Amino acid sequence: MQYTEETVKTLSSCFLQTLAPNPEPRKQAESFLKQVADQPGYGITILRLLSDPLVDAQVRQGAAVNFKNHVKYRWATPLDPDFPPALNPIQDPEKEQIKGLIVTLMLSTPPKIQSQLSEALSIMSQHDFPSKWQTLLPELVVSLRSATDYNIINGILQTSNSIFKRFRYQYKSNELFTDLKYCLDGFAAPLLEIFLKTGQVIGSSSENPAILKPALECQRLSCRIFYSLNFQELPEFFENHMAEWMGEFHKYLIYTNPHVQETDPEKTSVIDELKAAICENINLYMEKNEEEFQGYLGQFATDVWSLLMSVSISTSQDWLATTAIKFLTTVSKSVHHKLFSDPATLKQISESIVIPNVRIRDEDEELFEMNHVEYIRRDVEGSDMDTRRRIACELVKGLSTHYREQVTSMFSGYLQNMIQEYAANPAQNWKAKDCALYLIVTLAPRQASLGATGTDLVNIEQFFDSQIVPELRVQDVNSNAVLKADALKFFTTFRSQIRKQLTLELMPQLIGFLVAESNVVHSYAALCIEKLLALKDGKQLRYTAADLAPFLQPLLTNLFSALKLPESQENSYIMRCIMRVLSIADAGPFAPQCLAELTGILAEVCKNPSNPSFNHYLFEAVAALVKKACERDPEQVTVFENMLLPVFQSVLEQDVTEFAPYVFQIMAQLIESRMPPLPPNYIAFFPPLLTPILWQRQANVPGLVRLLQAYLQKAPQEINQGNQLPQVLGVFEKLVASKNTDHQGFFILNTVIENVSFEVLSPYMGQIWTILFSRLQYRSTGKFIKSLIIFASLFVVKHGPSKVIDTVNSVQPNLFLSILDNVWSPNLSSITGETEIKLCAVAASMLFTPLLEGSATPYCVKLLNSVVTLLVKPEEERVDEEQDVPDLDEVVGYTAVYAQLHNSSKAEDDPLKDVKDPKEFLAKTLGGVSSQQPGKLPSIIQGLEPSNQTALGHLCSTFRISIV
Amino acid sequence: MEGASGAHHRDPFKSSVGRVAGQRRRQQAVTVGKERRESVVRAKRLRRADPSDHGDDGSMQLAVMGDEAAYKALEESTVNAVHNLKNLLKGSPAKRIGALQTLRHLLSCTAMPPVHVAIEAGVVTLLVDCLAFGSSEEQLFEAAWCLTNIASGDLQQTCAVEPALPLLILHLGEKSAVHVVEQCAWAIGNVAGDGEVLRDVLLKQGALHSLSRHLLSPVPSLSRTAAWALSNLIKGPSPKAAMELMKIEGMVDTLVSHVSKGEEDLVVEVAWVLVYVTSMSDFHVTLLLNAGLLPPLLGCLASSEQLSLLTPVLRTLGNIVAGDNSKTDVVLSVGQSLPGGIIGVLARCLESKHRTLQKEAAWAVSNIAAGSILQKHTVFNGGVVPPLLHLLATAVFDVRKESAYCLGNLCVAPKESREQGGIILEHLIALVDGGCLPGFIALVRSPDVEAARLGLQFLELVMRGLPNGRGPKIVEKEDGISALEELQFHENDELQTMSNTLIDRYFGEEYGLEEEYGPGMDVLRGSDDSSDYPPWRQGGGLTA
Repeated sequence: MQYTEETVKTLSSCFLQTLAPNPEPRKQAESFLKQVADQPGYGITILRLLSDPLVDAQVRQGAAVNFKNHVKYRWATPLDPDFPPALNPIQDPEKEQIKGLIVTLMLSTPPKIQSQLSEALSIMSQHDFPSKWQTLLPELVVSLRSATDYNIINGILQTSNSIFKRFRYQYKSNELFTDLKYCLDGFAAPLLEIFLKTGQVIGSSSENPAILKPALECQRLSCRIFYSLNFQELPEFFENHMAEWMGEFHKYLIYTNPHVQETDPEKTSVIDELKAAICENINLYMEKNEEEFQGYLGQFATDVWSLLMSVSISTSQDWLATTAIKFLTTVSKSVHHKLFSDPATLKQISESIVIPNVRIRDEDEELFEMNHVEYIRRDVEGSDMDTRRRIACELVKGLSTHYREQVTSMFSGYLQNMIQEYAANPAQNWKAKDCALYLIVTLAPRQASLGATGTDLVNIEQFFDSQIVPELRVQDVNSNAVLKADALKFFTTFRSQIRKQLTLELMPQLIGFLVAESNVVHSYAALCIEKLLALKDGKQLRYTAADLAPFLQPLLTNLFSALKLPESQENSYIMRCIMRVLSIADAGPFAPQCLAELTGILAEVCKNPSNPSFNHYLFEAVAALVKKACERDPEQVTVFENMLLPVFQSVLEQDVTEFAPYVFQIMAQLIESRMPPLPPNYIAFFPPLLTPILWQRQANVPGLVRLLQAYLQKAPQEINQGNQLPQVLGVFEKLVASKNTDHQGFFILNTVIENVSFEVLSPYMGQIWTILFSRLQYRSTGKFIKSLIIFASLFVVKHGPSKVIDTVNSVQPNLFLSILDNVWSPNLSSITGETEIKLCAVAASMLFTPLLEGSATPYCVKLLNSVVTLLVKPEEERVDEEQDVPDLDEVVGYTAVYAQLHNSSKAEDDPLKDVKDPKEFLAKTLGGVSSQQPGKLPSIIQGLEPSNQTALGHLCSTFRISIV
Repeated sequence: MEGASGAHHRDPFKSSVGRVAGQRRRQQAVTVGKERRESVVRAKRLRRADPSDHGDDGSMQLAVMGDEAAYKALEESTVNAVHNLKNLLKGSPAKRIGALQTLRHLLSCTAMPPVHVAIEAGVVTLLVDCLAFGSSEEQLFEAAWCLTNIASGDLQQTCAVEPALPLLILHLGEKSAVHVVEQCAWAIGNVAGDGEVLRDVLLKQGALHSLSRHLLSPVPSLSRTAAWALSNLIKGPSPKAAMELMKIEGMVDTLVSHVSKGEEDLVVEVAWVLVYVTSMSDFHVTLLLNAGLLPPLLGCLASSEQLSLLTPVLRTLGNIVAGDNSKTDVVLSVGQSLPGGIIGVLARCLESKHRTLQKEAAWAVSNIAAGSILQKHTVFNGGVVPPLLHLLATAVFDVRKESAYCLGNLCVAPKESREQGGIILEHLIALVDGGCLPGFIALVRSPDVEAARLGLQFLELVMRGLPNGRGPKIVEKEDGISALEELQFHENDELQTMSNTLIDRYFGEEYGLEEEYGPGMDVLRGSDDSSDYPPWRQGGGLTA
């Protein structure tokens, strides 16, 4: 593509149209651009366009965004020439041209375009820098050294910062260190130069914000680059120049200047950002290079300390406060903790730094009311690592590392004071109690199993009685919502410590809070109930169906009412609680009503599935209901079907892909609980299930397989009469071809073998074996072989050994013995699983008679040896743990994950219920062979491994079998 | 196919533990940190004025160091001396030598010689002229000394010496006087200390062979300087030069004999040569061991107190045991003659107050501990555990990390063994009872991604391995859960996945409810268990 007046005109109008409000011309322009982007030279053309000052500003801006995306999707060199990428990649000569231009352009364009180009440059560098882009770093350094305009300087630093960030999270390797060394050699010295030079600028123009602010931003960026370059280990250059860096850091930590303050209290000032960046740097040094750093530690501890004394509680200083506290925390845990050993120091830290930062702020209250999702995420889901409250508590834990007793006794005292303060005037001083509850919960070691088991700070039982119970027993569930939420969180945290009797007494209160107006409160109530119901003493659930029975009706009523509260229609805490209740309680009479509620919700969420965890619990709840109800009363299946099938049908018809795997599982669950014959509406459902498109989605496969199995078990006649067996086998063939799904294919084949008569099956057997053996020949894996042995064994026990031998030999004469000797016998002993071992041992035992009759004696030695090994040796000694490599070409691309429903799991059934002990079976079978064909077995037994000979002898004597 | 019990045998995490913590680790060939060799500045050496060599002008001695005015004066004198040399270049040899001496004196009378001004004044071409064939020994010596000190400067200054390299190498020849050879070798050593580009230039010009001849010089200072220069030359990261060195006939025996008979100063330099050779070639490790390197090498370790010697010897040893198990066996068996065995000697290094020794020793131990089950037992019972636990709790960061590798390796069973779940339970229990867990949790919280991964791997061992479900409980008690949670949003994908998997598996919402609700909830949360396949007969179902 050439840069001509005409192209400029066309492209300009295109970029304008991409901004058009009208979708029609917009889409047209977009598709045109996508098309021309395939042409060589497009990137360069756009680059020229966006840098042309004569072109309209809007067009240039649009072109800049387009250029960045162009680079994003087309810069990477395709890894595999056999799999060309969806979009044409930019060719090498054009890439070189772009690399040659971009730095200069970036530094000479207006800020909005500059930021797009900087992003593009950073993407390019991820692929090419440094080895394929040797000019970049020198070019940046030359510009940095010569520039005097801080817009340009900061542009360079911004770009460099994004290039160096990868040193912060990649593992050490020679490649990474080669690159790092290259960057250090090129950039460490210029960075220090600009940092010192800018320091002088700041020192000499203390009253001019127009100079100061960009200069301070430059220092901040330099500090971030410092962080990246020092992250892996302390580089020689930085160690040699530590005094200069640290001197400057100190200067900025104590720097105050009204001219750089922000007027907007919510906006973070550039000096605070710089200080925070410095805190991160010294924290890194403290963590990783404490020896080299220790000379500076005292000064910095003092600096950070004073900083924290003066930091306000405004959100604009959150970042600064948390990074500063983190630094003190690191010091408190280090060998230099003695800096804080003075009791007066501990007291000052606690009173002036910890407690003020833990107290709830107006902003937190606002979040509680306006954005409950975010509040909950921070408050109970562990996403609070950067909040002041949490970080302040981390400091307490840090101090406790070396001063546990002092810290504990101090904080016990503070807690008492807070509770007294609250008691003096609850309405006015509620924040004191909130602070106390937050401290207790957060400082207790996190115990996932039972909630927290205790704390040194207070006596949990007493505290619960005196402070939490009254809060829960209050009449109005909507009064002081924050404290209610705190109390519920406290209850949840220490749930295992609260007596069962008291908990049950409080259940009506918990149920009441389910319909509190506050979203946080009703979510916490649901969370609390759910966690209580999951609680176990040893292996027993603490709260049983019987305990739950008296509360069941109001509990279910309130849970479903809660789902109708504003902004809680898809509240996953509540749905999870519903699932838990339905899987423990005896829903009995309430079941139809619950199901009606759940199907109603299901019909609603189908329209726009947006909350995966809510939806998962919803289906779990349905599965739990089906399971419980059908166990009690199979007649209810019909009631359930009538409610569920119409919704399921619409899920499948509207192709709601997220829900299909769930629907298949629950349908299978319904069919499994029925007695044959299946009603016609199910039979009508069957043919569409075999449509290939459904099977192409990996997430569907496990559920579909199970459903297909259910059909094969309950309606084999109907399937055969409908002439659908070839299609079923077609599914088997497709699944068995892949290493990832072959076991699924066998699930189907095994069910076919078990449920379809041999007469129906025999025309297909030759083809089935051919499919299996060619897979065996060309792409065998351990998993495949084991599956094959299990299938063949099942065939033996269901239809007799001679059918297996004949059908295999029909593929090719004498094939059976070859398979037996090369595949079956050698791998038999690696079978695992109780049912599987029994099946395979029994089937192998049944083969001896026909083998001996056919004079295939030599093959018997190997087979018998493997059977004995399988039956007597422990698994560790006979199974090699091997990892099959999955077919990678099949797992690329987006696939929805298959989500197993626990409540719809099915029990394993045993194809050989009449055989109790496979060892006995083997002994008795050999006894039979011995009496029918005497004289043959002893020589076979002679050929076994000595230990197996002994084991077999032992078996025979146990079951009083003598072999002659 | 797997049966009902199959699910419990599979553990996607185990492979990653085995892969990383259980493996031997070679030292990074590329380093960015300062080389911690304390008493000796290894890479570059300035030649200061000999004490016997009294300067002709007392005022030049710079009585007041650090005085700016005096340094200005020194710079000025240096520029003058260069001009003077230029003027005298065509003059009488005696005068020329006098001018060279003055210049050399100026370039060696302070720790920070005014190299930059000399270069700007054009000193290098003059010195190249002075190195011309047929020049007197004294002139060559003085010129080489000047170049030595110029090459001791920064990279840019060292590069300026490049035109002199062919002549410097030439004067390494057999006919040159010993003190000239030594000074040329010294200059070359300085140049070689400054990066791979210059090393390549030297190699192309044949410096390696010329230097190596002098390894066997009867003059101790010359063989020492040659060994030092060679150690700089073969540093790599490319192993090419080291390979070329070892191809020279008799080299293996020369090195081994120096280690066994040499003066301590010489052994230091030879040991550095061995550091680079053993780090780059397994094959030559075998040759060196066959030639009897170990007894004298381990002897140094047991008898010397010198940090400068112990550092390269420890690192060589660490490289040797980074090879296969059979080499480690040889080390252990030769080491039996030492008091406490080799492990006892390493334990004493771990107890040293020097960070360098602690780190090198821990690294060597971590490699032995990555070996066979027998080797692991030997390490475990050899006395290193108490110092390692102490270091893990109190040492500086990089030493803590090395110690953690040792302790982790002691608990991971070798791949071929059939230990339960890949864990050596006896070791694990002893270490946890010895109080190692807080140290590992601190690593999980550290900003270093490798240390965090190591910490996670150890927590996984503890939670999976300790009997009666004690693992998760003790991790909880040490506040490990919040440490794990801190990684849940880490920029490093692996750490993020690992911490999420661990939390889900051991502290997930279904904790304690496995009987009713299998581990399948993981799927929902995004951990990919799709490689697991359910029991053969069930299809979509899961064992109740």
